[in-house]
Amino acid sequence: MTAERALPNLDSVIHAQARLRVTVALSVLPAGDRVTFSRLQELVGMTAGNLSTHLRKLEDAGYITITKAFQRRTPVTHVTMTKAGRRAFEDYTAALSSLLATPVQGSDGERR
Amino acid sequence: MNEGPRSERPAVIGDEPNHTPEETLALIEAQRGRAVRSLYVDPAMILGAWGVAWLLGFGAIYLAVNGWLGTVMPAWAAAVLAGILFTAAALVTFGEQVRRGRGVQGASRRIAAMYGWSWLLAAVGLLALDLALEHQGLPSGLAPLLWTGSSLLAVGLLYLAGGMLWDDRLQYGLGVWVLVTGAASVAAGVPANFAVLSLAGGGGFLVAAGVSRTRGWRSEQARA
Repeated sequence: MTAERALPNLDSVIHAQARLRVTVALSVLPAGDRVTFSRLQELVGMTAGNLSTHLRKLEDAGYITITKAFQRRTPVTHVTMTKAGRRAFEDYTAALSSLLATPVQGSDGERR
Repeated sequence: MNEGPRSERPAVIGDEPNHTPEETLALIEAQRGRAVRSLYVDPAMILGAWGVAWLLGFGAIYLAVNGWLGTVMPAWAAAVLAGILFTAAALVTFGEQVRRGRGVQGASRRIAAMYGWSWLLAAVGLLALDLALEHQGLPSGLAPLLWTGSSLLAVGLLYLAGGMLWDDRLQYGLGVWVLVTGAASVAAGVPANFAVLSLAGGGGFLVAAGVSRTRGWRSEQARA
């Protein structure tokens, strides 16, 4: 895999760019809430095929749960971040902070 | 010996790791900002819309009821303006909630839906109560005070509830301010009550909008 290019002590499942984007987007949702595949796609700006691939890897790691259901005969896929996923992302940002001179401030991105 | 081709090129687009901690941090912040703006209503916009509606809507009514400035505009024009402004603010609020909540399910959406219904139910309850009192011989001079005073009581309480639901001191503080404004407006009597509603009420919403703008977009959510 690409682990040899990753920074030390960073979770390689999350550290890939696309999966990091997906993880960040899911972490912004209130804990326990689920989001449809298409809305998530809109949040991260990825193609359906690419997003599915990365979701599968996150699911394999136990960081998300994917559920499929029917709403008025249309199949709808929902994605939820698991507790393990939230914890992994917290650990990831903590590890990242330790690599940075200035620590990660969660609210920095929201200024407007 | 390593076979070169597979170590350099990731099989999946987006599988390549971010290179430096700084780049990674920038990516996190950009994606978080994008998701927050897409998923959460901008409170400053909602509060601003209501602030303008109160300031200009109640302001117009004051100008139509022979207050300190005399009768500056016809009553029908003031009523139409106030109606348009309050309807617009309600539509902006409702539309934003629906738009932001698209494709999301769970406890947060159930809370938001119940809170939204609480506003509608409060409005229906007030309508029934106030109409019944008018029907049973409420002196017509008291009607404007009853309608505005009871409405502000409900609005203030719902903002207190919003502050509790989302652990938001700004909403709670606004609720307290609306309760005080409501009581003060009734104490002031017609027609000064409309000036109180316009300036203290509308002003309160606009100050809250300003505070919300400087505080950042749903900052407490992003910190979680």
